Amino acid sequence: MMQQLDAVLALVTRDLRSFARSRSQLYSSVLFPLMLLAILGTGVSEGLDPKNIHDYVTFLTPGMIAMTTVFSSTFSSASYYQDRDSGILKVFLASPHSPRIVLLGKTLSAVIIGAAQGVIVLAVASAIPAIHFQWQYGVLPSLLLSIFAIVLLNFFLSGLGQLLASKIRSMQGFHLVMNLVLFPFLFFSGAFFPLDRLPEWLKILGRLNPLSYGVDMMHLALYADGRSGYFGLPLDLAVLTLLAVAVFYFGTSRAVSPDQ
Amino acid sequence: MRDLCYSYGDRVALDALALDVPRGSIFGLLGPNGSGKSTLLSILIGRRQAASGSVSVFGLPLAPRLRARIGIVFQEPSLDPNMSVRETMAMQGRMFGMKRARAASETERLLDRVGLLDRAASMTTTLSGGMKRRLELARALLSGPELILLDEPTLALDPDSRQALWQHLIEASAAGCTLLLATNDVHEAERYCGLVALLDHGRVVAQGAPADLKRDLRHDAVRIEWSDDPAADALAMGAWPGVGHVRLAGRTTHVTVDEASPFLTRVFQESGDRIRAVQIEESTLEDVYFQLVGKGIAPRADGESEVAPQ
Repeated sequence: MMQQLDAVLALVTRDLRSFARSRSQLYSSVLFPLMLLAILGTGVSEGLDPKNIHDYVTFLTPGMIAMTTVFSSTFSSASYYQDRDSGILKVFLASPHSPRIVLLGKTLSAVIIGAAQGVIVLAVASAIPAIHFQWQYGVLPSLLLSIFAIVLLNFFLSGLGQLLASKIRSMQGFHLVMNLVLFPFLFFSGAFFPLDRLPEWLKILGRLNPLSYGVDMMHLALYADGRSGYFGLPLDLAVLTLLAVAVFYFGTSRAVSPDQ
Repeated sequence: MRDLCYSYGDRVALDALALDVPRGSIFGLLGPNGSGKSTLLSILIGRRQAASGSVSVFGLPLAPRLRARIGIVFQEPSLDPNMSVRETMAMQGRMFGMKRARAASETERLLDRVGLLDRAASMTTTLSGGMKRRLELARALLSGPELILLDEPTLALDPDSRQALWQHLIEASAAGCTLLLATNDVHEAERYCGLVALLDHGRVVAQGAPADLKRDLRHDAVRIEWSDDPAADALAMGAWPGVGHVRLAGRTTHVTVDEASPFLTRVFQESGDRIRAVQIEESTLEDVYFQLVGKGIAPRADGESEVAPQ
């Protein structure tokens, strides 16, 4: 058991070190959402003057954090392909551990990297004067709740990345599918505009969208000044936790094809 | 291994393969590409599950835990481009459950032995092909495996690097390690392997010591250098009685025959004025393989071709 834990830890440490050495990925993953926040947030709130949304830049921030986790988990899950192509994955799989331990180490590192990037964006955003977080549950509980939402989202997305990686042979195909699936999900997750005023068919899609529950949790923690949110905290917590645990479990339990 | 079967769809890779690899031996699996060598190694490390048959290593059935006693050097490069040499070794130590102090001291010793100690801090991407191979071998040796699987370990290495690598393998063997080597390099197998198994279409067609296999062949090998293109001669010779394997490389033919004397008499009678040099050579395992299977082992270099016996 201790040896398995150490193997998982070794794999996580290795991926974190690789990520830290990839400066461009590190900087761009944090700068891009902040840049979008500044440009899109200011552009929409000043140029379009949305009447239904009080303080659009602050409203947009949880969505940008969700977007950060989407991008980072996609990139981190894609490291599976880099490891396969460099041949190092074969070496890990030839160790005395089961493939599940290897996948667990790789997926956990994707969770940590994605969560860390989300938390960095959250930290930087909270220091920007134009962003006015409400912290409606108190600063620390709201902060912990939003971090919890980020972590759950990353468990879900990294697990999803592994599930897709078991079906898709090439990294290009993986990126294409991840973008094809997750980008539309981002748009009707409540990240860019509130779900409650959308047409019924988009509301239904929003309810079916796992990202919506994470974004709603963060809106409740950071933006909303009422307690209900769109779905409400209990439903957000229940749905997101269930999905995160289930998808992470199945993602790390997948078979590793010897030819993939 | 007993009655081992594995298929890639309709293509049979292992066909009731049976093999015994004695402990402490350097055992060569010799066969052309696609003969099942790599598939067999991937079954031994648990990457593939045999469709039927049984495998035991050290008298035990295959299980993940057993891999702690097995090291492997893959055919393709298998180093992490984001790691240094020392980090590569440390990672292996942790994946194999070694105590950090022991892994660190073994790393120093092995890197010193393979001549990479001064490159310990270098990223793996900065190493030459030969250095990378030596690092992969050092990594495979780190946990003190009792069995090392090597899949074409010297492929694409220059002669010096090959020799250096074999030196390390022989040292590992002398220390009691069993080496199971998949190769299509006949000369390497003959030179270094105490035992070989010749594979064709996933079956063992012969196994034993290289010298014993060649002794059973009782063939002579004749190398002829011609003054002009001998393609037509090679084709004609392939139909002569007593002629086995005819290989053509530029203006040189390599022919295995039952007896060299009558063959050479006929060659000189028919084409003596076009012959520049003749040499009678020792038969190789390639000739044994050709005798048994009717084709060669090694991939043909540019301009090389074979003439099948009639």
